Amino acid sequence: MEVDSQEQLQRKQSTYLSLDENFEIQKEVYRGQQYSQIYFARLHMMRTLLYSLVPNWKSHLPVCTVLELEEGKECIIVGTLYKHMKLKPCILDEYSKERSVAPLIKPHNFMHQDDYLVLEDESGRVKLGGTKLSPSVYVTGVVVALHGKETSAGAFFVEDVLEAGLPPQIERPLKSREDKYVVFVSGLSIGSSSSNPLQFQLLVDHITGHLGDEEEQGLAAEIVHLVIVGNSVEISHGLLNGQNLASKDQSRLSEPFKELDILLTQIAASLPLDIMPGSSDPANFALPQQPLNRCLFPGSATYNTFRSCTNPHCFELDSIRFLGTSGQNIDDLTKYSEAKDKLDFLERTLRWRHLAPTAPNTLGCYPFTDRDPFLIDSCPDVYFVGNQEKYETRLLKGLEGQLVRLICIPRFCETGVAVVLNMRNLECHALTFGTQISS
Amino acid sequence: MATTSKNMNVFYRQKKKSTTSTGKKSTKSPSPKHAATFGSDITQPPGLVSHGGSLDLKDDFDEQEQVLRQFDMNMAYGPCVGITRLDRWERAQRMGLNPPKEIESLLKGGKVKLESLFDGRV
Repeated sequence: MEVDSQEQLQRKQSTYLSLDENFEIQKEVYRGQQYSQIYFARLHMMRTLLYSLVPNWKSHLPVCTVLELEEGKECIIVGTLYKHMKLKPCILDEYSKERSVAPLIKPHNFMHQDDYLVLEDESGRVKLGGTKLSPSVYVTGVVVALHGKETSAGAFFVEDVLEAGLPPQIERPLKSREDKYVVFVSGLSIGSSSSNPLQFQLLVDHITGHLGDEEEQGLAAEIVHLVIVGNSVEISHGLLNGQNLASKDQSRLSEPFKELDILLTQIAASLPLDIMPGSSDPANFALPQQPLNRCLFPGSATYNTFRSCTNPHCFELDSIRFLGTSGQNIDDLTKYSEAKDKLDFLERTLRWRHLAPTAPNTLGCYPFTDRDPFLIDSCPDVYFVGNQEKYETRLLKGLEGQLVRLICIPRFCETGVAVVLNMRNLECHALTFGTQISS
Repeated sequence: MATTSKNMNVFYRQKKKSTTSTGKKSTKSPSPKHAATFGSDITQPPGLVSHGGSLDLKDDFDEQEQVLRQFDMNMAYGPCVGITRLDRWERAQRMGLNPPKEIESLLKGGKVKLESLFDGRV
């Protein structure tokens, strides 16, 4: 057996800057407000932006509000889209007399060919017609500028659409970069029947350099950061049915956390780690989800490399901006619109400059009064979403030279796949862990 | 409306009859349903007594409240429900909407309602 080599491998490091302040709600005070405030903030910010873009788009046309529309007059209107969906679940359906109409099996996607779009601003709303704006692409909550005219039927015939487009990107200084890797993993689902502890242990061992020979350890030493993108634990629903738990069951409630903490301690001892809450984690339901409590991680929270983060999560590593969510925003878009693949949804949210346009309509959201924290005002370099079915990635190029790496991170408990990103050239590859012993 | 005087005594503040009077009873006896007239001192049915115990007969029609109500109703500064007037003014200021400075000084001066027009009513 080889004797341990004299020189110790040093892990590379990078500077970390957290930009999650916008997503924290500790300072917010609930005064009984409703969601009209967040919609107003969103409309105001986006409208100011779109008004500045309209002269470059169609400068010869007048801009007016919905109430100022005149029949036959070509103009541009700016407002929030609302999609009327026939199949969208409505709480009133429970009280309707014709119970047979509602299907017993809820569809995964609520689209219907009779869906139509409506544009709304403070003065009024108008139904949108024409074929330019496809209801299958858009969702409620997106702010756009529309060129068209009012028809005799009172609808607005859309001739052209202006979305906000990709936000401006801050130029990254081209330092002579070396290969530095960031690992993304999501959907560990520790505590569920489908999670395999050996798989995650293999991942931990690989990242911390306990696997392989010197060459492999050298590769592992180039990993500078790990991001766990939501759904790290899964508590069986039998324990959560509201009944009092016997004392032996209470320990079952905390077992997934103990297991997770043991693994996270191994990681935190080795490299910086961010953990984001997901839909199955014990965090608040409405977006932005607040960081998981440090008490859940008694072992790993003692390390200063351990960071509990919000969902959505925004940070900078060596001045490369990362932005991502645990998947609730994209899953909601999947339910209310359609696209070729999940990366298309990611791209759309960037073009609309809004992380979660369906919040608060169909996605739980905190009723902010003075701002909409999901507006994206600076284009990230890496935009990721967790808890998806499969690993997908694309490099998106913007009109003003923006370059964004879009990443869909698959659920680790189902696929055994983690994603590795090279910060030098924004290239991505998958890291697969298999534990099947082939016979 | 025909009501027996026996029932009405419950609603009227009882007045001692003066001996020098000609014995003419006070003719005006509006039924409680029409008692919501300005200046009437007839006890109000519970429906008209709003929160705080104060009688909701007279609107706060002083000028300052009028100005603040116009500010509440102005759509340019967003919805007014669920947010205090000062918070709404500050939000408008931060968004660059240039709300009138007099509103701010009115709200900070005190003695005006800090909540919007619809507070507690919606």
